[in-house]
Amino acid sequence: MRLSPLLLLACALSAHAAPAKTLRWGGDSSGGAPFVFQDPKNPAKTVGFEADLAAALAAELGLEPVFVQNQWDSLVPGLKRGDYDVVINGLEITEERKAEVAFSDPYYLTYEAMTVPKKSFDIASLADLKGRRAGTLKGALAERLLGDAGGVTVVGYDTQTMLYDDLANGRIDAVLMDHPAAVYYGIDARLKNLPGQFGRMAYGVAVRKNDAKLLAHVNEALARLMKAGKLREIYERWGIWNPVMAASFTDTSGNHAEPTEYANYLAARGVKLGWRAQLAKYMGYVPLLAKGAVTTVELSLLAMSLAVLMGLILALMKLYGPAPVALMAGIYVEFIRGSPLLIQLFFIFYGLPTIGIKLQPFTAAVLGLAINYSAYEAEVYRAGIQAIPHAQMEAALALGMTRWQALRHIIIPQALRVVLPPTTNDFIALLKDSSLVSVITMVELTRVYGMLAASTYDYLGIGVLTALMYVLIGLPFVRLSRWAEARLAVEKRPRIS
Amino acid sequence: MAAAPTLVAKGLRKTFHGQQVLKGVDFEASPGQLIVIVGRSGCGKSTLLRCLNGLETFDEGSLSFGALTLQGPRDDAKTRALRANFGMVFQSFNLFPHLDVLGNLVAAPMIVKGMSRPEAEEIALPLLEKVGLSGHARHYPGQMSGGQQQRAAIARALAMAPKVMLYDEPTSALDPWLVDEVFDVMRKLDAEGMTQIVVTHETRFAREVAREIVFMEEGVVVEKGPPAAIFGAPKDPRTVKYMSRFAA
Repeated sequence: MRLSPLLLLACALSAHAAPAKTLRWGGDSSGGAPFVFQDPKNPAKTVGFEADLAAALAAELGLEPVFVQNQWDSLVPGLKRGDYDVVINGLEITEERKAEVAFSDPYYLTYEAMTVPKKSFDIASLADLKGRRAGTLKGALAERLLGDAGGVTVVGYDTQTMLYDDLANGRIDAVLMDHPAAVYYGIDARLKNLPGQFGRMAYGVAVRKNDAKLLAHVNEALARLMKAGKLREIYERWGIWNPVMAASFTDTSGNHAEPTEYANYLAARGVKLGWRAQLAKYMGYVPLLAKGAVTTVELSLLAMSLAVLMGLILALMKLYGPAPVALMAGIYVEFIRGSPLLIQLFFIFYGLPTIGIKLQPFTAAVLGLAINYSAYEAEVYRAGIQAIPHAQMEAALALGMTRWQALRHIIIPQALRVVLPPTTNDFIALLKDSSLVSVITMVELTRVYGMLAASTYDYLGIGVLTALMYVLIGLPFVRLSRWAEARLAVEKRPRIS
Repeated sequence: MAAAPTLVAKGLRKTFHGQQVLKGVDFEASPGQLIVIVGRSGCGKSTLLRCLNGLETFDEGSLSFGALTLQGPRDDAKTRALRANFGMVFQSFNLFPHLDVLGNLVAAPMIVKGMSRPEAEEIALPLLEKVGLSGHARHYPGQMSGGQQQRAAIARALAMAPKVMLYDEPTSALDPWLVDEVFDVMRKLDAEGMTQIVVTHETRFAREVAREIVFMEEGVVVEKGPPAAIFGAPKDPRTVKYMSRFAA
């Protein structure tokens, strides 16, 4: 039976639909501790004070919490697209964001804290940063504070781990980040947190503007959690309860919890493992990486099948279509090939919904990759078809075939062998380019790597493991292609006379 | 072989990139004829042949075969209907390299006529025997000599049951000792009454086998007649000059 790629696509899509009766909450687990991150001891588990908050909120609302991964600076667009119901991930309540989404009452109050290298003694305030390089998360409030300070070179990062690592490695002079981040990352032996508090901010649960009912429910639930002291308990367990909140929250419970989660975190970070334990630890990551790898393979196979089909059609349009059709195909190829895949993905995922076309992340990822690669495939197949001597077409026509019959039965089968090596090449390239779809909430191999590395501080070991997985995924296809190539090389068979 | 209609071309004109290669050619082939077209390279003989089966369009003139008449430059449906009556053999064989010999023979009957593979093979296998390639059904073109390939190409054209066979310098790409095996097949077809039109430089074949010689120069038919007359006693000074090279 022949399965059309579209049918496969449909099957794959239905597997990715979310169940009902859930509270889908968006966050970026590669952002780092203590917000939302992968448990270093059990990487398959998403933990953090906001994971606890989401669970508590969902319980209050009688819903099942479902975590949806997305890149931090894309959390708001993802919410507007409807990929999840709420965002709970250190999203500061600002006027700009309020124009885009609705915010609940604050669930956490904090301020920016500055972290510098241990050996640095001349930075104490924002003004001291003049002429220096300071880092923070992309799109965070701190980015604006640094910009307003004047004369500071602001370096934007995607994850906290990378941010504080770069500070420890001396690539930047200071980090300005939300206080909870400083509590967790500034404790590095090479760094120190400065006492000053900069700015004031409040994290809110972001909800779509037209979701007034959900917003009201969230606010009621938050108020109940606050009153019962559950919110404070969560923050105390994570070691991030602060005086600002004590003054503002109407917590009358008088509860006090030990910072157990903070202690766990520090313990997990400080452990030095022997090689056996190290190996066992890496083996523990394999299932999660394998899950990401499966998504990568699904995505790549579907996208490539579509790209091959579209590429072939485009090549035929360019070669045999009437002038306007050939021109259109040509413009498509130059436009798609000439613009970055990343922009195309953003366009499809976040751009198209503004004109009413809303695609599931998986569909958008497959389409984005397929559209991008179809342009390359089109050129490969055009060259492949042109490599077949025109005499073959004439011979087929002379035998009474139509042009299309000649193409389908005589020219394309011969061109297939010519294009097999470059197409395999493109597939391997697509396999790796599929890592880009993590920007549209897809959790594939590279995103899993990012999440694991951010929570375990191990960019090296897990990086090698991930790279190895990409190679292993590609190898069977390379072998398959070689085998097919050899089978198709009939003209290389020995002469009989 | 069933009586085929006469092929008549009248006043064919064809211009390539501003250069007129056919300047009003009249041509006729009655059933069972074996006509050899000779002339210098570039005289238009190959173009004429390619116009006859529609691989090349002509700007003016008409082409008729039985009830079918093709006029003017373009009519795809009619061209294909006309073409169904012609088999074409090329200088460079143009076998399909990705198919074995039998695959080459059955391709068009299956694709164009919608035959099943067994039906098509029933036609193809006797043809392979006729051209002396019975043992080569499973060989690929690249494995065979030029002579064998050209014989396979003839069989491939015959598989579509054409009424007229066209040959465009069928032996020019062959080593001299392989030429005869191809001509032998054409002789055999002639004996069976097939209408054949051959463009070739092989004067020995033209002399011995052709029923009629057509001599072309600069896009026109200069002279035509039986081999003895054209080779032995040409009338037109241009023919005389051309033939003088072959004076025995």
